[in-house]
Amino acid sequence: MHIVKQLMAIPGVVAAGEYAYRGDRFSYEGALTDEFARMASILCRANTLSVNMQSEIFDSFAENIGCRPVQGWIVRGSQITICAVGNYFAFIENRDELLNDVMTIMRAKVGDVQDDLLVNLYARLGGDTKEALY
Amino acid sequence: MDLQKMMDLPGALAAFTYSDKGDLQSHVLREGTELTPQVLDLLAHSCVANQAIASMEARGWEALTGQSGFQPLKGFSMVGLEWSVVVDGNCGVVVKNRDADYEATFNALQAA
Repeated sequence: MHIVKQLMAIPGVVAAGEYAYRGDRFSYEGALTDEFARMASILCRANTLSVNMQSEIFDSFAENIGCRPVQGWIVRGSQITICAVGNYFAFIENRDELLNDVMTIMRAKVGDVQDDLLVNLYARLGGDTKEALY
Repeated sequence: MDLQKMMDLPGALAAFTYSDKGDLQSHVLREGTELTPQVLDLLAHSCVANQAIASMEARGWEALTGQSGFQPLKGFSMVGLEWSVVVDGNCGVVVKNRDADYEATFNALQAA
């Protein structure tokens, strides 16, 4: 089953989606409008690139400490939590055990994010990744 | 802040506190971990920055979409390849991904 559909089948998952490269190519299910999903995709991509940049700085201080490549991030809100793993995101309610379940599914289904994040994100669109990026 | 108590969380490799500017103030490291105080200091700085960015995004998201439930933020976590750092306020815990209980960790940080 597709990751987004699998996530949406869990009670308490408000919305889930997938984005690529610039964050302007996306698909989603759940309680978002197209415009909100576009904004969420751009937000998730920006944060993902930001934490990846940070992990490269950590790596320059101490190599191979188990941080790189970053797999994702979580923002815990008062009632809603946003989880991002690879190029997938999920908005979930703060319910008992839901966050752990969602993270387990996302980590298992998305798999380990490869080292070159931009190539990884762009590859989802197909085409000549190198030519488009550099 | 009882850092030793934080080290009892599932998969905990390190627990630390930091100032509002991100300077490391106190820490406990699990014996054998490759993490160092220098890395924790850097992590603390990034966590302050990430929490500030997440707060800004939450505020903007609520204003633009009319949705609620994001503010006030209850924490941030960066999920690395082998471990995650989970922070809230001025305290953070590094947990092994394999054993991590994100919910328990966020709750413990919030209660601290």
